[in-house]
Amino acid sequence: MIARWERVTYTYPGGAVPALADVTLSLEAGELVLVAGPSGGGKSTLLRTLNGLVPQFHGGTLQGRLRVCGLDPARTPTRTMATRVGMVFQEPEAQAIAETVEEEIAFGLELHAVPGDEARRRIEAVLEMLGIGHLRVRRLSTLSGGERQRVALAAVLALQPQLLALDEPTSQLDPEGAEQFVEAVLDLHQRSGLTVLIAEHRRERIQAIASRVLHVDGGRVVSLGPREAGSLPGAPALPRLGIRLGLYPPPLTLEEARAALAGRSVALVPAKEAPSPGAELLRAAGVTVSYGECVALAGVSLGLREGELVALLGRNGAGKTTLLRSLVGLARLESGEIRFRGAPAPAGVRERSAFAALLPQNPAYVLSRRTLAEELRASLEARGLPVGHVEHVAARWRLDGLLGRHPYDLSVGQQQRAALAVMLVHEPPVWLLDEPTRGADHATKEWLAGVLRDHASRGGAAIVATHDVEFAARWAARAIVLDGGRVVFDGPAREAFGSTGPYPTAVAQIIPGALLPEEVAAA
Amino acid sequence: MATTAWLAWAAMVMAVALTVTNPFYLAVVVLGVILVAVLAPKDAAGAAGLRVMAFFGASVLLFAALVAVINGSYGEHELFRVPSLRVPEWLGGLRLGGPVTAEQLVNAAIRGLAILAIVLAFATVNAAVTPQRLLRAAPAALFHAALVATIGLTLLPATIEDSRRIREAQALRGGGTGLRQLPGLAVPVVLGGLERSLRLAEAMEARGFAPPPSPPAWARAAALLSAPLGLAGGLCWLYLGDARWVGALLGGVAVVLFGAWLTAASRRRVGNRLRPERLTGSERAAVAFAAAIAALAIFGRAPGWLELGYSPFAGLAWPPFAPLEAGFVLSVVWPSLFLAGRWKPAPRGLPAAGVAEVGRP
Repeated sequence: MIARWERVTYTYPGGAVPALADVTLSLEAGELVLVAGPSGGGKSTLLRTLNGLVPQFHGGTLQGRLRVCGLDPARTPTRTMATRVGMVFQEPEAQAIAETVEEEIAFGLELHAVPGDEARRRIEAVLEMLGIGHLRVRRLSTLSGGERQRVALAAVLALQPQLLALDEPTSQLDPEGAEQFVEAVLDLHQRSGLTVLIAEHRRERIQAIASRVLHVDGGRVVSLGPREAGSLPGAPALPRLGIRLGLYPPPLTLEEARAALAGRSVALVPAKEAPSPGAELLRAAGVTVSYGECVALAGVSLGLREGELVALLGRNGAGKTTLLRSLVGLARLESGEIRFRGAPAPAGVRERSAFAALLPQNPAYVLSRRTLAEELRASLEARGLPVGHVEHVAARWRLDGLLGRHPYDLSVGQQQRAALAVMLVHEPPVWLLDEPTRGADHATKEWLAGVLRDHASRGGAAIVATHDVEFAARWAARAIVLDGGRVVFDGPAREAFGSTGPYPTAVAQIIPGALLPEEVAAA
Repeated sequence: MATTAWLAWAAMVMAVALTVTNPFYLAVVVLGVILVAVLAPKDAAGAAGLRVMAFFGASVLLFAALVAVINGSYGEHELFRVPSLRVPEWLGGLRLGGPVTAEQLVNAAIRGLAILAIVLAFATVNAAVTPQRLLRAAPAALFHAALVATIGLTLLPATIEDSRRIREAQALRGGGTGLRQLPGLAVPVVLGGLERSLRLAEAMEARGFAPPPSPPAWARAAALLSAPLGLAGGLCWLYLGDARWVGALLGGVAVVLFGAWLTAASRRRVGNRLRPERLTGSERAAVAFAAAIAALAIFGRAPGWLELGYSPFAGLAWPPFAPLEAGFVLSVVWPSLFLAGRWKPAPRGLPAAGVAEVGRP
């Protein structure tokens, strides 16, 4: 046994309810454990008890008994715990300080006074282990997010921990970077038998290999087998499909799903028809934008009509954000034109956002007032709407009861809803959302899908830049794929997410004609 | 080029620029520094373009001239007059404005050139040496202070980016960017910066970073004493014309005390350094050369070896320009010997690719 929690209860300083409530749990050496659950449920807190950041860095009160690698992390100096438990955090930018990859890995070894020869040997070993030897002399600022996270992992591995605690390490990465990172972790686990605890919203790959799933919600931890966990909210599509079709045990990988379905016939439940689009709201014609010598958009043309929900897909750097920015006037057009309802779009960002509002990626950039009520009032005022509508707006965006809270004290999901309320308070006909589900949990995605469908049914339209195919398949009627600043696909979403499209969903890969588990029934 | 060598160069430029008052020699120094600036790597985030530097230099010269005009002046060659104002006796009785002489303007231009040379030299070092490299060159006792400064500098670009994004978000929200909106712009920048530093602190703690144990009490007392002793020593040296040895003695004691603290604190440093910066032979020679040039500039005038001074007030004569002195000040370009080999012209358009294409069938 490598870690054991015995009736552990922990409350953050000033917290009204415990963040961990009466947790009893043990972890065997060599396990790979997925930590799942809604955001704000206590996943991060559970991981931070392992190396003593909770309670030593965060304060608060911890009750109960805790043993990790034979030590009590609440009382052992975090410096000592650092050589037993390695931790990787969400943001690549907020966990490195050195200039180059090699120096970043060396930094931890220097702190622990690992002698020169031994340190050099370990640096070589971790570079090789994670396949980042070619990045050795690169400057961290030139690396992609996925590469930086692997460097962060290498830096903690160099201290030769017995246990890895990974706190949503891919939530800020694009799918490619996330996949690379997860593969590196799984590979590491299988080759070295290192114990790994990983909190992750992208569960598919991990749940297939994990020995257990810890579901953390409201500070309570439930330990489940990876197959039992298929019925949890936010479980990956394949086990959900399995449970829907009565397959036992529910499949976790595409191969298992194909094998389980072999010889069975399934019925397709026809998906709801999207409302047929109305008059044209917005048109971009030949839009070209460059940053210096880099062409971000090369002659993009598209139209958006009433009732249309568009998923904007493409790799990082394909031009998704630039396209949304150019529509609201934040990017200077080199050539091309934007028209709103057939007339040239107004010049100013403020005037444009009255018609087509953009929600930027990071909700924290939007929120600045002391309370949520002030926040909404400021937005209503800016749009020339009566400020008395605050209660009404709060109810519309499911923010009732939070009006007196500081925007920074809200959970990730609540912050996202608040940011949406602030930007869309005037209910503009066109919504432009830039990766609204980055780091969001299942409940937030489900809610947002509903809000989008509702907006479309009232004649509104939206373009949503996203990497999350399973999320987009729930609401999108049309998909646009950008690559290198050009539109490479513009057509029905069912085609894009279907078995022969550029972005097939997990279900589409085994049952052509269906996109989501809900579209399939046992025959 | 090693961090230490860069710092030695900047210190040398400073010593030369502050002692030379002949405008011709100063111009040589400025041109030499510009040459080094062009050749120097621009690695660090603080690298400013040459155009920005040139603009800054012009403003320094203009500002020096403006101050000269306001300050009022002495000398024979009056150019024009500005309204004059006499500061009351109890405030020093200075005269502001009045006649503006050619001598005063020339003097201001000379001061401006010196400042320009120093500013350009430090801008060059700032562009060539990242804060992380400075951190590695810092003595062990100052490691933690330097680390904190480095982290601050590491977070700076992100904070600048934040403020840009927040301004945009405010506009997208339909809000203004006037003074009333200032809280809306400043609060998220500050909170975002604080949150980011907290997360970085947490990540560092998880990796075993801990503040070092403080050095023993005697060492802290020594450090505390060294500052007032050094100050007193300096004052004695300046004002006790016939008992300068008292100043020298006090200064010496201050240096010894500070050195004792440095040694004690360095021994307390937790951890080790895998790759301390090592100077190559030629870099060592360059550092020694820089020290020699600086010493010559400061002490070489009394025995009359080098004639680097010039005063416009002595009749506004044409400044001399002798090969020995010109050669001496030209020595500020020594870093270019290290840099010339690695210089590549900045790509403009795609000329290099175009050249490569020509040879192909």
